[in-house]
Amino acid sequence: MAWLFSFLLAHQGDAADPELLHWIKERLDQIFGSGPWVVVAVMGLIILSIPVFVVVVYFMQANRRSAAVPLDQDGQEQERVP
Amino acid sequence: MQTTKTTKKPIFYGWYVCAAAVFIGFVAVGARNSFGVFVLPMSDEFGWSRFQVSIAAGLGIVVNGFSQPFMGQIFDRTGGRKLILISLVVLGGATALMALTFHILFLVFMFGVVASLAQSGPSLTNNAALMARWFQRRRATAISIVAAALSLGGMVMVPFTMYLLQATNWRTAWVALGAIVLLALPLAYFFFHESPAKKGLYPDGDSEAAYNSKGARRQIPGPLAVEKWKECFRSAPFWQMSGSYFVCGATTFVLTFHFIAFAQEDRGVSGSTAALIFGYMMGLNILGALGSGILADKIGGTKNWLALVYLIRGLAYILLLTIDSVAGLWIFASVAGFSWIATLPLTSSLTADVYGLKALGTISGITFMFHQIGGFGSVLLAGLLFDITGSYTVPFAIVGALLFPAALSAFSIKERKYSSRYQALAPTAAAGD
Repeated sequence: MAWLFSFLLAHQGDAADPELLHWIKERLDQIFGSGPWVVVAVMGLIILSIPVFVVVVYFMQANRRSAAVPLDQDGQEQERVP
Repeated sequence: MQTTKTTKKPIFYGWYVCAAAVFIGFVAVGARNSFGVFVLPMSDEFGWSRFQVSIAAGLGIVVNGFSQPFMGQIFDRTGGRKLILISLVVLGGATALMALTFHILFLVFMFGVVASLAQSGPSLTNNAALMARWFQRRRATAISIVAAALSLGGMVMVPFTMYLLQATNWRTAWVALGAIVLLALPLAYFFFHESPAKKGLYPDGDSEAAYNSKGARRQIPGPLAVEKWKECFRSAPFWQMSGSYFVCGATTFVLTFHFIAFAQEDRGVSGSTAALIFGYMMGLNILGALGSGILADKIGGTKNWLALVYLIRGLAYILLLTIDSVAGLWIFASVAGFSWIATLPLTSSLTADVYGLKALGTISGITFMFHQIGGFGSVLLAGLLFDITGSYTVPFAIVGALLFPAALSAFSIKERKYSSRYQALAPTAAAGD
């Protein structure tokens, strides 16, 4: 039954297969050197940049939208209809 | 005369909802997949056996798999926003609290029950149901982007956790992971709205005029659109999709666990090479997921793409078993990689198109449960047959052979008859079925 419990761990880890993890770590070590903090910082920044990017794009769009409100003949902003 | 300062069309709000779902899936799945990284340091400190830790992991699979339909029902009844927000708080909190682990039962409860239950809230099935509300023409595309993010989450978060663990200790790493999960909370709070109607918008970002003209045909529910989830059991497409999804789970789970061992023992490659091939295949699945969704939306015929994906995976299995060399493994990985999670956006969008949106969370949760049961069963079968025959050839041949009836099952879904996408088409168009 050992394989069953191994499966439970392997599946729960999914991408965290020990051989795969070992290989990934070797490759990353080659790229970043052996300092774990460098990798943590780089990958942490990548992870953090996702929500920041989404929010920044949203607010840029919101500004553009507010600047693009249709103007009528008198140059007045028209009421926006959703 | 009406003038505007700029003519560039703004990004449809639904894409922000999609982006939030991407990040939520990314961190939630990433945090969960990282569990394997903690096994050794925690076992070393507390002197736990592999079996003891497996209880937490195994219970997590069961709780997560079987709670999906129930969470789907809550999603359908409440709209989903509150469910996802509360689930994220609980998931982030439970992940961080695992830093306080002092006994195996604490880990079993916190990971196996609390975190696993909470993860069913922002699961792919619920996120897909949310995407289905915001998108109609680009439904499969939006779902495929969220599905691809899950793979990416595992690929990024797991190595990140490994290095975090190396730089600090397992307690700090759990707290950091919990904090990253909670980072998704403001994004979800800000962007997650239950439907375009609540924002005064229309699906796909259409204007009212466009929605009522070219989009009018998609407003007509298909003949199988349900008010209550139980009604889906009486129709063929549910069983056709669930049956093929069962095979999908069986054929992916079995390789997730056994591929590296198969490559080493049956093909004689090194562990590193086997891992490289498996990693290459996992990388391709992101492209496969995105491609399948985009093609299904652009060209149509979702069930045909779904059947093609199963067929491709079936051919990949044949290659795996017939080419007895390292090259065979690479060819297999190249072919199978594209089909790995491509079934997910296709099945989810087809479910939405056939059964409508009212009980979609529950129905998707049930079909996904079939996927998980197939996966668990295949691993049990493969383990037993390996013990009996001393090789993976027989179990791989059995699950691989199931892919052809699965392809047939998907192909035989009467999509043009039942899908809301085709309801306004002329009757002659349905002759394709």
